[in-house]
Amino acid sequence: MPMYYEWTSRKKSVLKKHEYPSFDVASHPLKVNVINVVKDSTSKILMENLNKWSSAFEEVDPLLRFEQMKQEEENSQTELQVDDVTNYKKSWNTRRSLILNKYTTGEKLSIVSSFLPGGEKLSSFSALFRQVSNLNEKVKHRLEQLDDFDKGSVRKTMGLSQQEFVTKINMLNDEIKKAWDSEQRVKAFKIGIQCSKLLSDVNVMQFYPSKFVLITDILDTFGVLVFDRLKGKSYKQNEVKDIKDIDPKSIPESAKETCQNWLFKMASIRELLPRLYMEMSLLKCYVFISKDEIKPAIARLTTMIRGIGNPLVALYLRLYLCRVASKLLGKESEEFFYSNLKEFLEEYQQIFHPMMKRKFETQLLTLDKYLNLYVPAVDWLLHGTLNSNKCKDTLLDELLQKCEDMENNELLLYCVVNAFDSTSITKKSSKILELVQKSAEKMVLVSDILTSLGEHLCSADNHRQLASEALIQTWWKLATIIKSTNHFLQVLEPWLQFACTHLSTQHVNIILRGTIRYMIKCGKPADEFSGNFHFVIKRMLKFIPDVEELFLMDAFMPLVELVQTSNARTMMAKTVLSIFFSRYTSVQIEDHIIISSLMRLCCILHDSINAVTVEDESKVCAELINKFVQAVTYEDDLEQQLNFYVECRSAFIKLDAVLIALVHAVNALATRAGARQGRWLQRACAAYCFVTVPSLHCALARAHLYLLSGQVALLNNCIGQAEANFKALVGLIPDIPEFLLEDGQKKPTNIKVGGILSDFLSTMLVMPDNVDSNCKAYILSGFIKMIERIHWKKTDPLYYNTLLHILDVLSAMTQENYAYHIDSVLSNDKLYGSEDEFLEAVDKHATNICQELLVVLKMLGDTKETKKQYNLALAMFWRVVTRGDLSRSAMLSLAANLWMLSQKLQDPNNNKMAKTMLAALASDNSPASQTLLKKLTENSTKQS
Amino acid sequence: MSTNLSINLKRASKVYHEGENIVGVVVVESSGDVRHEGLALLMEGSVNLQLSTKNVGIFEAFSNSIKPITLISTSIELAPPGKIPVGVTEIPFEMPLRARQAISPGYPGLLETYHGVFVNIMYTLKCSMKRSFLNKPLNAGCQFFVQYKQQDPAPLKPVRCEITPATIRAASSAGARAAIPQFQVYAEIDSTVCPLDKPLTGKIRVDECSVPIKSIELQLVRVETCGCAEGYSRDATEIQNIQVGAGDVCRARDVPLYMVLPRLFTCPTTTTHNFKIEFELNIAVIFEDDYLVTENFPILLLRSR
Repeated sequence: MPMYYEWTSRKKSVLKKHEYPSFDVASHPLKVNVINVVKDSTSKILMENLNKWSSAFEEVDPLLRFEQMKQEEENSQTELQVDDVTNYKKSWNTRRSLILNKYTTGEKLSIVSSFLPGGEKLSSFSALFRQVSNLNEKVKHRLEQLDDFDKGSVRKTMGLSQQEFVTKINMLNDEIKKAWDSEQRVKAFKIGIQCSKLLSDVNVMQFYPSKFVLITDILDTFGVLVFDRLKGKSYKQNEVKDIKDIDPKSIPESAKETCQNWLFKMASIRELLPRLYMEMSLLKCYVFISKDEIKPAIARLTTMIRGIGNPLVALYLRLYLCRVASKLLGKESEEFFYSNLKEFLEEYQQIFHPMMKRKFETQLLTLDKYLNLYVPAVDWLLHGTLNSNKCKDTLLDELLQKCEDMENNELLLYCVVNAFDSTSITKKSSKILELVQKSAEKMVLVSDILTSLGEHLCSADNHRQLASEALIQTWWKLATIIKSTNHFLQVLEPWLQFACTHLSTQHVNIILRGTIRYMIKCGKPADEFSGNFHFVIKRMLKFIPDVEELFLMDAFMPLVELVQTSNARTMMAKTVLSIFFSRYTSVQIEDHIIISSLMRLCCILHDSINAVTVEDESKVCAELINKFVQAVTYEDDLEQQLNFYVECRSAFIKLDAVLIALVHAVNALATRAGARQGRWLQRACAAYCFVTVPSLHCALARAHLYLLSGQVALLNNCIGQAEANFKALVGLIPDIPEFLLEDGQKKPTNIKVGGILSDFLSTMLVMPDNVDSNCKAYILSGFIKMIERIHWKKTDPLYYNTLLHILDVLSAMTQENYAYHIDSVLSNDKLYGSEDEFLEAVDKHATNICQELLVVLKMLGDTKETKKQYNLALAMFWRVVTRGDLSRSAMLSLAANLWMLSQKLQDPNNNKMAKTMLAALASDNSPASQTLLKKLTENSTKQS
Repeated sequence: MSTNLSINLKRASKVYHEGENIVGVVVVESSGDVRHEGLALLMEGSVNLQLSTKNVGIFEAFSNSIKPITLISTSIELAPPGKIPVGVTEIPFEMPLRARQAISPGYPGLLETYHGVFVNIMYTLKCSMKRSFLNKPLNAGCQFFVQYKQQDPAPLKPVRCEITPATIRAASSAGARAAIPQFQVYAEIDSTVCPLDKPLTGKIRVDECSVPIKSIELQLVRVETCGCAEGYSRDATEIQNIQVGAGDVCRARDVPLYMVLPRLFTCPTTTTHNFKIEFELNIAVIFEDDYLVTENFPILLLRSR
């Protein structure tokens, strides 16, 4: 096979003007659609979208189906909530975990039990039971045993940590089940009694609520065991019965008798507290005897709790009663919530009994911590009461009146404010503040009350009040006398939101100034409170109606920068920026004050980045700073804008992503500049880019930016700058690595490089040559040389595709009129006017490229990459046919040979591409193509 | 070859009233055929009295233990001598519960089942299977309970009382204690005539108390009197003690008194020729220094609605 073909490009006569269908449109089809998604329910929007796209299909889209299922589930859940019993169960469960999380202790606990390790006594104990066989004796024995637990076996385990205590309690829980399963029901009963006795111990008070939760769980277990056994005795196994379905009339006598026995046993417990707890745990067993007895029993228990002297123990007992009642009666239990609440209020002053005071003080508790122990229980009572009471306002009035009349009203006031709904509380807010003000001096839960009130005011958003100014003033007076800074900040959080949404900027500013004054006056560095402080700022940013206004307040930035440690400052800056940008509605920032404030924050953010910063972290920072860079605008003052970018470059030099954004921004600026501003600005922009790009780390990004900057420079007719950029790009190509690390994965760069290169090549068509140099198609020939120098694998598609594209450009360059131009730039067609010397040089390059391609073709054949070889052969064939001058014999034979090669590799009839090519060739009626066609058909017939 | 004998009553509660039939089955369970010389069922009820050592000397207490009073004793033959096949055999029976006809002086009739310290009233069914000689007879027993028929409710008899240092002094003129704390307690019992099936209720209120209270308790006491020609004893013992107030209860608030009367250990207040069973209630207020103040109420227990 002769291996040398001289390439001659065909001059195309005037291009055919195609008539394309066109119509007028109102907006550009490629314009970016800005959609403001109102975040209400993502799943709903998703559903709508999915619906829209899948409506055409008959089958339901699988994604849609999942979403539908999820929504149905949610719906069914909401339906279930109508059932009060489950409703109460749910709300208790949330409270339960809250209690367990909140009330913890590092103190040592003690547990009194005869059922925990210390095994030898235990076994003798149960053996004692087995010896007694006479029924009568047994009954007697049991009854006597119920109270005193065989004194010797009761042991007190002291010095338990909280975790150990919990483990012990869980052991008891297991023990109950074990005892029950091994027919030792009385033992289970005794464990229950012992557990409830533990609740009379208030020695480590701050753990009491959690202890209550743990122990009542055991009691619940016991209650369920008894209930299930009675149910098993009464009904067949699978005849699952809800409590509601159990009819006392249908209960067999034996089950009733067993139930009675349990109740008698319970009633003979000597001590009051365990008796009450056990009766509550067995309360639901009353259904087996008579349903009418439940309510009187609850009412009786309600009054019996009065006998408990310790207010904490009593209140939690009420909590358990109401919980059991709610489980049993649902909606109907609410009257008992109310009656228990009333009972509690009657005994309210017991909480402040000197004896209790002595107790909590010896445990080193402060009054507010002590009062906080009561909160979950009061809250639960109020929760149920509120559910029942239709007229909340009167109830609120009544309770507030009570608060007013009593001493030490803070606990009740706090719980009331916490439990009621926002609308009712908002109506009474001034009254509540007044109450607080009256006794603010000695009140301890002030901050909690104020916080809660503030939250209510915030959530009742559409409630516009005239008195909000007065409210804030009263509040501020109260807030400034709060001693603990943490509490102050905690209170500030909701009230600041309220101020932001209801008052003018000036007012908010005054509050901010006051805050700064308070923070300075408190004498401790603000860093100690950075967490709370953070929340305050976050809240304010989230809820101020217009975020921009924040920066216009003179107290805001000082407040933000009140924290001094770099960590806290970075956090703060990040929060402020991210919330600002998420809430900032317009695309551009014009205000100088805002710009400088944001610049300051961005600098803080940027300065926090160092060698050990993780990648994600700097990514987030870069994203925020990018948003800033992109949003800042100086309108028509382009010089100022460029200055800004220069400033940014020096400020954010550590972040590549920001630099990239800056280059893009400057390029955009350059194109915006136009001739009006004079060419110096465009040059300055080009220079900026050219200087900035080399400092990037990633070669690929650099290449891309060089190309872009070159194109922009070219667009602005800054040929020199464009040339410099392109030269730099060409020089950079060998440096582009084959793989890039992206998100922890190695990704090949060849597709991107291919894109950049073809983009570059198509730019080359309009790029005019430097007239000073002798070389024709200066940069392109440089590129070709570079390609030769790089040791790319020849069989790499990137390599031969690039060669094909070079071939395309070279053929396009020989045309008299180029396919496209840049208006102000004189391209080579005008520059040389199809001068022979130029054409020759170009064709020479083309011949070399063609030669190289043939080498590649051969190599592909050698490495048995038939498919690639076939495709390349066809592609080359097509280029020869469309771009080559077929009247030259070299070209003609090249085309024929390529076609033969491709035919050898694969039957052209099987390949659509080959067929289309042939058809296109046939439709072309120039004599050269006809000759070629003839030759091709001849060859194929010869072969067959 | 093993044979098991047991009595199962039809009524789960095992509580019967006079005039009712006791219905049940005797279950013979054996791994082989059982030959026997007759199967008999005996119903027995008796009052056991014991003199306490406190009132009469130890010697007398032992030697003079009073003869049990038989309340009922009937027997029936369940099966004539013969053979009972292998497996589980149930032999149903029915016995009327009726007081003895021949009235001896002092015979109290059928009394309620009662378990006390010095007086016990018990009813049992005993089944015995006589077997060929060399083999011991097989026995099985089963207790059942007798209750009076319910009477119409008696009129309530509420009592009220105030407990103050003054009332205490009046009671115990000894005045052993130097400083009695200042207190005023008001107590009320809804009725001293109590139906056995209903809880005993009332209320107590601490109006004033200068020292903290440790506990308020309700004590049920039985007073058993055994008397006959040879000796006489009267003893009060505690049946149960129920706490109604734990810790220093809130002042001037009614704390309910509530006590379920235990079964078996209580019965209607009974007076017979030979013995008496009476009940009392004590309200005890215990101060923190374990100083105890009690108030006693005799109560009348009835089997009524």
